Amino acid sequence: MYDAPKLGANVEQKELKIAARGVQVFYGETHAIKDVDIDIQAKTVTAFIGPSGCGKSTFLRCLNRMNDTIDICRVEGDITLDGEDIYDKRVDPVQLRAKVGMVFQKPNPFPKSIYDNVAYGPRIHGLSRNKAELDEIVEKALRRGAIWNEVKDRLHEPGTGLSGGQQQRLCIARAVATEPEVLLMDEPCSALDPIATAQVEELIDELRTRYSVVIVTHSMQQAARVSQRTAFFHLGNLVEYDDTATIFTNPRDERTESYITGRIG
Amino acid sequence: MTDATSGSAMGKPKSSLLVQDDRTKRRNAAEARFRGYGVVAITIAMLALVGLLSSILYNGSSAFRQTFITLDVYLDPAKLDKDGSGDLAKIAKVTTFGYAPLIKKSFEVEFEKQGIGVEGMKPKDAAKMISKEGPAELRRFVLANPDQIGETLSFEFLASGRIDGYYKGRVTMESAEIDKNVSPEQLQLADQMKDAGVLETKWNWGFLTRADASENRPEAAGLGVAILGSFYMMMVVLCLSLPIGVAASIYLEEFAPKNWITDVIEVNISNLAAVPSIVFGILGLAIFINFAGLPQSAPIVGGLVLTLMTLPTIIIATRASLKAVPPSIRDAALGVGASKMQSVFHHVLPLAAPGILTGTIIGLAQALGETAPLLLIGMVAFVREFPSAPPEGFFDPAAALPVQVYNWTQRADPAFVERASGAIIVLLVFLLFMNAVAIILRRRFERRW
Amino acid sequence: MSVGLVFLVVIAIAIVGFFIGRKRAVLSVDGDVRKLHSLPSYYGQTVFIFSAVPALLVTLAWLLLQPLYVENQVSAKILPGDIVEGSSLELVMADVRRISSGLDSLVASGNVDEDGLKLINAADTDVRALLGEVGVAVASDVQANVFTASMEYRAKTAMLKTAMAVVAVVLSLLGALIALSRIHPEYRARNVSELAIKSLLILSSMVAILTTVGIIFSLLFETSNFFRMYPAKDFFFNLTWNPQFTGGSDLGILPLLWGTLYVSFFALIFAVPIGLLVAIYLSEYASRRVRAIVKPAVEILAGIPTIVYGLFALITIGPMLRDYFAQPLGLGASSSSVLTAGVVMGIMLIPFVSSLSDDVINAVPQAMRDGSYGLGATQSETVRQVILPAALPGIVGAILLAASRAIGETMIVVMGAGAAAKLSLNPFEAMTTITVKIVSQLTGDTEFASPETLVAFALGLSLFVVTLGLNVLALYIVRKYREQYE
Repeated sequence: MYDAPKLGANVEQKELKIAARGVQVFYGETHAIKDVDIDIQAKTVTAFIGPSGCGKSTFLRCLNRMNDTIDICRVEGDITLDGEDIYDKRVDPVQLRAKVGMVFQKPNPFPKSIYDNVAYGPRIHGLSRNKAELDEIVEKALRRGAIWNEVKDRLHEPGTGLSGGQQQRLCIARAVATEPEVLLMDEPCSALDPIATAQVEELIDELRTRYSVVIVTHSMQQAARVSQRTAFFHLGNLVEYDDTATIFTNPRDERTESYITGRIG
Repeated sequence: MTDATSGSAMGKPKSSLLVQDDRTKRRNAAEARFRGYGVVAITIAMLALVGLLSSILYNGSSAFRQTFITLDVYLDPAKLDKDGSGDLAKIAKVTTFGYAPLIKKSFEVEFEKQGIGVEGMKPKDAAKMISKEGPAELRRFVLANPDQIGETLSFEFLASGRIDGYYKGRVTMESAEIDKNVSPEQLQLADQMKDAGVLETKWNWGFLTRADASENRPEAAGLGVAILGSFYMMMVVLCLSLPIGVAASIYLEEFAPKNWITDVIEVNISNLAAVPSIVFGILGLAIFINFAGLPQSAPIVGGLVLTLMTLPTIIIATRASLKAVPPSIRDAALGVGASKMQSVFHHVLPLAAPGILTGTIIGLAQALGETAPLLLIGMVAFVREFPSAPPEGFFDPAAALPVQVYNWTQRADPAFVERASGAIIVLLVFLLFMNAVAIILRRRFERRW
Repeated sequence: MSVGLVFLVVIAIAIVGFFIGRKRAVLSVDGDVRKLHSLPSYYGQTVFIFSAVPALLVTLAWLLLQPLYVENQVSAKILPGDIVEGSSLELVMADVRRISSGLDSLVASGNVDEDGLKLINAADTDVRALLGEVGVAVASDVQANVFTASMEYRAKTAMLKTAMAVVAVVLSLLGALIALSRIHPEYRARNVSELAIKSLLILSSMVAILTTVGIIFSLLFETSNFFRMYPAKDFFFNLTWNPQFTGGSDLGILPLLWGTLYVSFFALIFAVPIGLLVAIYLSEYASRRVRAIVKPAVEILAGIPTIVYGLFALITIGPMLRDYFAQPLGLGASSSSVLTAGVVMGIMLIPFVSSLSDDVINAVPQAMRDGSYGLGATQSETVRQVILPAALPGIVGAILLAASRAIGETMIVVMGAGAAAKLSLNPFEAMTTITVKIVSQLTGDTEFASPETLVAFALGLSLFVVTLGLNVLALYIVRKYREQYE
């Protein structure tokens, strides 16, 4: 089993961003997440890996309370962001999600122009005082999304007209435009071709300098490439959580080893 | 995040999740407002439904009660059968007017017996409290039973519309002052008769069984012909639209090749479903009546027009339920060597039957309430005679429930408002019944693959 | 022989043929049905089809063509002198038909027998009175020529009817014999019968096409008759609607069109926001309990026939609007008004708009909602800024369909809007619509061939074209919209 992250692990100790303790998730009768404890560090890419249906996406969606939108879903346990319980009654999920942004499996640009897609978040959160500021925010977000050069001449064309990889980078730009502190990514590359995937991965690596990124992925190679910390989920349990290098080279749990070597999954 | 931040990302002031900032408060207020709009909209829709139904119930439920006056009538041979021959032809020569004195007489007798009466009121005026239908009913009875002449029999007469209205709150002493059809004295007398047990307001089967009656005798108007006419039309609609609709759907869903003809048919069907119903009435008038020479006001024409209107509904429902039968069933039948036709008729159709039935009932319910096209094919006509039994009855003039409602609303006497609303209640009860059957069928046989 | 009897006889022959055919098939293989190409019943079915279908088709065609033929023959008998001033050949022929059917009932009533009928001389018998006895009313005294024409009409019809019966029965028997003679073990009875059934299926699906053709044909035909009597330019551009019994009517569509659009406008103003909000609330906010109550209730609203709404307008909403708004505001004293009809029609359209909007809102993929919530949008922001724009084409389509329904709606406006054709802006005034006038012109007492009656067909055609246009456009938009998310 996994031991709590050890002090003195062999990466430099960073600031703690999210801490989860004893998290349980139920979908109606199904017990989807069983007693998960995890600490997520700031300015780090954390990867969640594991076989399909192991609960990694479900857990990810707990971190910005996206599960609230599903009627039958029930979450127990504590999750804190910067020491504040995000399931506290006083917390407005809307405010939380502005801090903890999310990028989804399939690119889902709104049927609006590229500009309006990116400006959507800043507009609803009131991040700009005037058009010029908004323009600036949009440009910055698109640059951070590494897509500015491709779209700067057609900002007012529909976002749905872009290619899959561009759409996903647009969605990432849209997510960073609200200046989140944490960025959750739910298999962001699973609908993309290898070239687009490479571009997105490169982008994730850059994002690490500003945000704490949590990425759910199917591909172990991807986890190895982009993440510094890796958590392995299996059947709703968090089996092992450690530095990525440790997990891939020297897993402690035999289930992790079986998964990594391709025996289960 | 209030005044955050076009500047550097890092310059953003830390905000606590546990405190709602101003903007979030405003946004949440907007959220609550928006929700409020939704609640208001739903409330309006529900109020409209409740208002609609309660207005109809409020105005119409009294149509099922009616005031009757029970009198002993002496069937005077001196008036009805002067020479005592008992010859029916001669008795028939006595018109309705000849019967009025008999009723007048029985009033006199009754008043004496019960000791009631209003100062200065003649029996002639008292007799006017009976519906004009009264003498006609008496005459019909005598013609049917000529051997009863000379007897004294008890008859239950309809009270006139105004007297009936008095007990339903439509007529008051004040309104009677200025109404030339009724006088306050008559109302006083009516109260006395009520106390004496001669006059009674009770459940009125006649509303469901009688034929329509003319303008000045609303108390006698009933829905009999209209219910029968609607029933005949529904029979025609069912017998035509179900087989044609199912056959058309089977072809389109199972056999039709994908080509422009099929496309034309499909577009056509969806457009037909949205053609205004009155246009179907024009079609019925031009094709079935003027061109094919079918009689006006006949259930057969109404049935044909409604069939054409119902077909798209049935076709759309049938195709949906055929589509819901998984292809594996067809493959299985074809796999054991059944022909395409056999696989459809032996396997697919029975599985789709509940859905088809439900769609058909809903289509019929729609057709039952349809009014506009029937106006154009002459079903507004005043029909007193019951149509005969099918199939000849399909060609006899008849009314239809919704058209009867319209007819009654066009009449001057306010008593017909009550009748019209009552007819709507009957119509709604039929619709409720049909829809309930459809829902039960759907629940009972619904199959998930 | 009546048509019904012919039909029954033909069916009876076909049924008997079915059993003989089946028996014959079984006998042809000495009872060993395995040697047959098809199951025995299929052989029976082929006999049934051969026997019934041609005979019934011929009967049907005969029934349609016979009146045309007879009328053509008989109308030659009517000389121009027989047509009274102000009448026409068509009207005289209508009299001929009525008289001849009157004569039928005369004979049926037993007042006169066939031979007696032949002795009647229109010149010195009061045919009109005679017919009056059996309840057939003829407008004027019957002229000699018209009476002979009627007699001939009656004779020819009777003769042809008998002929039809004979032909039908003979055809039926002949068909049965031919089919029976073709029965042998290798005969592909199933394929023949299936082909026949398939043709029946195709025929049934043609009914929809025929209906459309019938609508277009009847509208165009009578409309062209109308335009021959009344100039099309006046119909489309005249600003007055004022039909007269004596001729010289003004039959401009514009006041009616204005009334129609004005009523529909109010209906949509009322129905679209409410219907849309109901749909949004039910699909995005409502708890399962609320939905379980409200959704069926809204469906009930949709299942209520329009006559009920009409009565509601007449006895409740109309007087209410008059007493509480129109009269205190000094805007009118009529209980039927544009607003009455508009509000009630709006109520009728709520479920229509809400169920269509519900469909389009649900067609917006969940990913859109997730995307918006993931950015920290509230539900109403998501609805207003993501879902509604995404669903806009579908909602526009729904509104167009609702508009088409409003324009074509009849009973509510007949009972709620009034009958005065006016070009006015006051919504509390009674105005009238195209559908109201179609009803009043076609149920009135004017003679059919007058422009005052025929104008109803021109109105109907205009209505049909407008609603069809709206529907086609709406369906096109909705279809395009669906494709976007499939």
